Amino acid sequence: MTASAAQKARDGVRTAILSSRMESIARKMQNTLFRTARSGILNTAHDFSCVILTADCRFLAAAESLPIHTLIGPDLMCQAVKKHHPVLKRGDCFLHNSPYEGNSHAADHCLIVPVVDDEGILRFFVLAKAHQADCGNSRPSTYLGDVVDVYQEGALIFSATKIQSDYQNNDDIIRMCKARIRVPEQWWGDYLASLGSVRIGERELLALGREVGWDVLEDYAEAWFDYSEKKMVDAIGRLKSGRRVIHAAHDPFPGVPDGIPVKVDVTVDALAGKITVDLRDNPDCQPCGLNLTEGTSVSAAMVGIYNGIIDHGVPANAGSFRRIEVLVRENCCVGIPRHPFSCSVATTNLADRVSNPVQRAIAEISAGHGMAETGPIMAPGMGVISGKDPRNHDEPFVNQVHIGVTGGAGTAVTDGFLSIIHAGNAGMCRIDCIEVDELHHPIFIKARYLVPDTEGAGTFRGAPSAYTELGPIDGCTMQVLYTADGTINVAEGTRGGGKGGPVRAMKRELDGSLTKLPPCYGVTLKPGELVVSYSAGGGGYGSPLERDPARVLHDLMEGWISAERARSVYGLVTTGSLVDGTLAVDQAATRSLRASLRQTQ
Amino acid sequence: MRLACDTGGTFTDLVVEDGDEIRLFKASTTPDDPVRGVLDALALAAAHYGLDRKDFLARGQMFIHGTTRAINAILTGNTAKTAFLTTEGHRDVLVIREGGRIEPFNFTVPYPEPYVPRRLTFEVPERINAAGKVVQALDEAAVLGIIEQLKEQQVEAVGVCLLWSVMNAQHERRIGELLAEHLPNVSVTLSHVLNPTLREYRRASATVIDASLKPLMFKYLNGLTNRLREAGFAGRTLMVTSGGGIMDAEAVARAPIHSINSGPAMAPVAGRYYAERDFGNAVAIVADTGGTSYDVSLVRDGRIPWTRETWLGQRFRGHMTGFPSVDVKSIGAGGGSIAWVDSGGLLQVGPKSAGSTPGPVAYGKGGTEPTVTDCSIILGYIDPDFFLGGTMALDRDAAVAALKEKVADRLGLSVEETAAAVLALATEKMVGAIDEITVNQGIDPSTAILIGGGGAAGLNAVAVGKRLGCAGVLIPEAGAVLSAAGALMSELSSDYAQMLFTVSDRFQFDSVNEVLAKLESRCQAFAAGPGEGALEVVTEFSVEARYPHQIWEIEVPLGRGRIEGQAELDALKQAFHATHKDIFEISDPNSEVEFVTWRAKVRCRLREGGSGRLPTPEGSGPMMARRQIYFAATGWVDAPVVRFEAMAADEPVTGPAVIESSFTTVVVDPDTTAVRTEGGGLRVTF
Repeated sequence: MTASAAQKARDGVRTAILSSRMESIARKMQNTLFRTARSGILNTAHDFSCVILTADCRFLAAAESLPIHTLIGPDLMCQAVKKHHPVLKRGDCFLHNSPYEGNSHAADHCLIVPVVDDEGILRFFVLAKAHQADCGNSRPSTYLGDVVDVYQEGALIFSATKIQSDYQNNDDIIRMCKARIRVPEQWWGDYLASLGSVRIGERELLALGREVGWDVLEDYAEAWFDYSEKKMVDAIGRLKSGRRVIHAAHDPFPGVPDGIPVKVDVTVDALAGKITVDLRDNPDCQPCGLNLTEGTSVSAAMVGIYNGIIDHGVPANAGSFRRIEVLVRENCCVGIPRHPFSCSVATTNLADRVSNPVQRAIAEISAGHGMAETGPIMAPGMGVISGKDPRNHDEPFVNQVHIGVTGGAGTAVTDGFLSIIHAGNAGMCRIDCIEVDELHHPIFIKARYLVPDTEGAGTFRGAPSAYTELGPIDGCTMQVLYTADGTINVAEGTRGGGKGGPVRAMKRELDGSLTKLPPCYGVTLKPGELVVSYSAGGGGYGSPLERDPARVLHDLMEGWISAERARSVYGLVTTGSLVDGTLAVDQAATRSLRASLRQTQ
Repeated sequence: MRLACDTGGTFTDLVVEDGDEIRLFKASTTPDDPVRGVLDALALAAAHYGLDRKDFLARGQMFIHGTTRAINAILTGNTAKTAFLTTEGHRDVLVIREGGRIEPFNFTVPYPEPYVPRRLTFEVPERINAAGKVVQALDEAAVLGIIEQLKEQQVEAVGVCLLWSVMNAQHERRIGELLAEHLPNVSVTLSHVLNPTLREYRRASATVIDASLKPLMFKYLNGLTNRLREAGFAGRTLMVTSGGGIMDAEAVARAPIHSINSGPAMAPVAGRYYAERDFGNAVAIVADTGGTSYDVSLVRDGRIPWTRETWLGQRFRGHMTGFPSVDVKSIGAGGGSIAWVDSGGLLQVGPKSAGSTPGPVAYGKGGTEPTVTDCSIILGYIDPDFFLGGTMALDRDAAVAALKEKVADRLGLSVEETAAAVLALATEKMVGAIDEITVNQGIDPSTAILIGGGGAAGLNAVAVGKRLGCAGVLIPEAGAVLSAAGALMSELSSDYAQMLFTVSDRFQFDSVNEVLAKLESRCQAFAAGPGEGALEVVTEFSVEARYPHQIWEIEVPLGRGRIEGQAELDALKQAFHATHKDIFEISDPNSEVEFVTWRAKVRCRLREGGSGRLPTPEGSGPMMARRQIYFAATGWVDAPVVRFEAMAADEPVTGPAVIESSFTTVVVDPDTTAVRTEGGGLRVTF
């Protein structure tokens, strides 16, 4: 065996062991944050991410985190820290949330700690990104879609701001935050939770470096990147080559009365093992809060790619990223934002309008891969609620709830995952418990259930919509702010699959009647009034006439689809009856009905 | 004489404790009629004692049983046809769950089906709010209508979970009465009775799981007790529980969910005893190594931490029981885990396992994939001629050939280098599991001892302990049967909980003390009933508390069962801050504290002391030998092989060495030292 071959073999073993340790460190960071955070958005909804990066700012490992938070962005933010603070010392910690320097929307506060060894050499970065319940915006929501710029948005913006030196807080910055953020004690608790997370990550990495040696860790990082790249080459090699241009659009919104068209140009080169997404031919930044940041533009495209390759054995890190090229331009709403355009909603709405067509393009290029579109989000069922809590000395409350949201897209191999939430989230966030929400806030959730016939039909169908009806308790006036996409442009199917159900928002008046509400709105509810929300269904993959009849029967029996839809959309003919348990597929009649439906299509 | 019997997937293990001695017997499990396997094991034991089964059983005072019957019924879908009744407007509680997903880019795993199909879910017109106030009265006529449908559908069990029944149970209770009246032969579980905990999904989930097990477990336990009685047993039949305690079989038949995670819950009970006996009550990490899984649990201050986040199957992919059980982290790593090389050239161990069939290559039962056990044989850790006391010959050459072809050649490494790497990676995975549970419970492994249980524990327990930087490793003398030993030591126990939300700055002293008094009287009733005649009764109180706006509570022990006056409240607050700091490295000492659920646990000790000792087997082979063993750090070395039973307390063994008994093999790594403890266990320090 040659010396280099022997080295490579040892790498294969050491890399396996060290990657297990890195994952374990990221998981410790994650557990700490989840279990100590104060706000529902973190401790219930799990809307945060923990990342480890190399000293030259390459994304190495993450606990299972929101892809839109993590793929690209942490690297850009660490670069910003290095640029503004050329000398990094142990004990430093930086608060960063600037959408113009790598972050997602300003509500995602990141704490970044440089891991500096005993000789004073920078070895790694650890980063925790946590969605705040409030970030000092002009109105009590962390998603302001209808603002013309960052000034109207009003968020406090921190650019690599040193919040700790020598492990001690800079209290000036703490006071700034407390003076401006609506729920200062909750913010403070969440800050402590994030700080605990990054400090645990730092402690563990220092211990690991001392144990195995920093050079070994650096070699490991390179070997891990090479391995990940190879896995990505293999995965892309299983696709067909081709190019697709897909046009999508975000619904009309305040500031963008015609909506925002999005064009993605996707090229798969299976032979070269490379996927390119060009986002440059898109509108300039818009006078609304929907603009993406550089981090979310590129991450959104990558989400579509990692979803589309259907191979979770590929580690998503700077190694496999080498096989992806996402082309973005400055001053583009799906590119690099120009100050002072607002990016208040940069993780969700328009980001999904990038991810979804990318995964759909892959499906159209390469059968058996890719996905339909995930449901667009931000129906009132996941709005930001605020007001004063009469049960608690009228203490103000603000929080995003995750009550009624679903959205999973049909894939080449499975039905849409019900609790996916939205494309960039990948189901990593939790769905709220009714009882926890009602205990935590002066809220009453009258109903939450899933709606039949809202799935994007398909060989593999999308997830159905969720219905929610909620309002304040007696003695409370509550505001619900939401920024819903998908009331007009619903989730598209692919390869013959159908569209998901639309988002709808209504207000139930005191007399029980319903009033339609705009898609981007803040509704004020008095006791007895309720907001009604339908979340988006996911799109379907493949023709519903190809769906396994046994699965269609199951959907019918479980009430996911009506008998009429089973027949007219899926071409299912049954015998027997549901009530006495004899309902069954009439195989011959189903075959012939499907044949005739195919003819009429 | 006391008997502990554990029916596993392959073997039915029986431990007989007679005076100071324990003895182990194994019979094959008989899945078609598991009680037959139990009786077979009893017959083996009777033969050993030279008695017929009837006389043998007549000497038994206590029969403690653990079984995978309930969990297997769930996994194979053989539970009762169960309906779910819930609050109108919320029919999808079991479908929507609490969200959450693992592996963001893995779309090959579908969304889980609800435990009860939607077509057997019924909405009851009623609503109680968070304050426990009736917002919408119960529509009894509608309930009667639902009952008619249940009859038509021939439902066998019903779980009822309404929103906020933990605050006000009147609607659930009334539905229970109507069901009892109109469907007298159908099993019913009411959520506020079974599992009075916040969060509707996990409460509902526990409720329907429990209901679905009732017909089957009643039949099984009834059959077991009757057949034991017919066979001559006149003592008490007890079942081990997920909480690490034991309960009368009749009580488990009434709430069978108690038995579903009982398997891994017993090891820490044994661990608690050994930690106290040999390590002065140090914090203990208890690791039980099986053929396919590695179960980690903890003991701190003599308490075994518990959790409500217990999943049947994988997290987010299976069903959450929401039922308090011993906090156990299980990973698919064990002697049977298969080593392989992935397409990127990286060594992998597991998650696939060769299990007990076909098993490792060296067993010669048709296994072709090299496993962790095969690697241990290759490295000389396991003596191919002395496996299970020499009762089973192992084929080392076959193991070498398989590892070479499937792994070593692909990595370009020698066979022994590869085998050592496989063990190192398995060790790393085990350390990862320990890391996760210790960080969740805020335990620093460097202050803890690692207790290794299970037949394969000794192969890398020292390596795991060293890697964690533990204070030491203990392999108890009964380590190979840690769970059964735990069953013998466990105490009759019962848990009670009640929710009462209050905040430290407006603490409701009277209401809290009322709740505590009520919990205490339930404990007393238990002690006077099932616990009658116990040697000792201990009641422990605790409260689940959090900082304002936090959502996950932590458990804080209450010194005594009342909080009277500011001084006691202040002490409780201090205890909360300290516990929070312990677990999470941070505390917020100026913050108020919210108290959510009040708990009392009563434990009735039925017997003296820990467990008996395994006697030294006759003809236990050479006291001392030497053999070639391999470590990555040293290469092949000529190392002493020492008989476990023959070791004297004052004769330390320095690594590299191997210590063997008929039940287990302990690898003593270079630069570590093993000594026999007073109690008979093996302590390794580094």
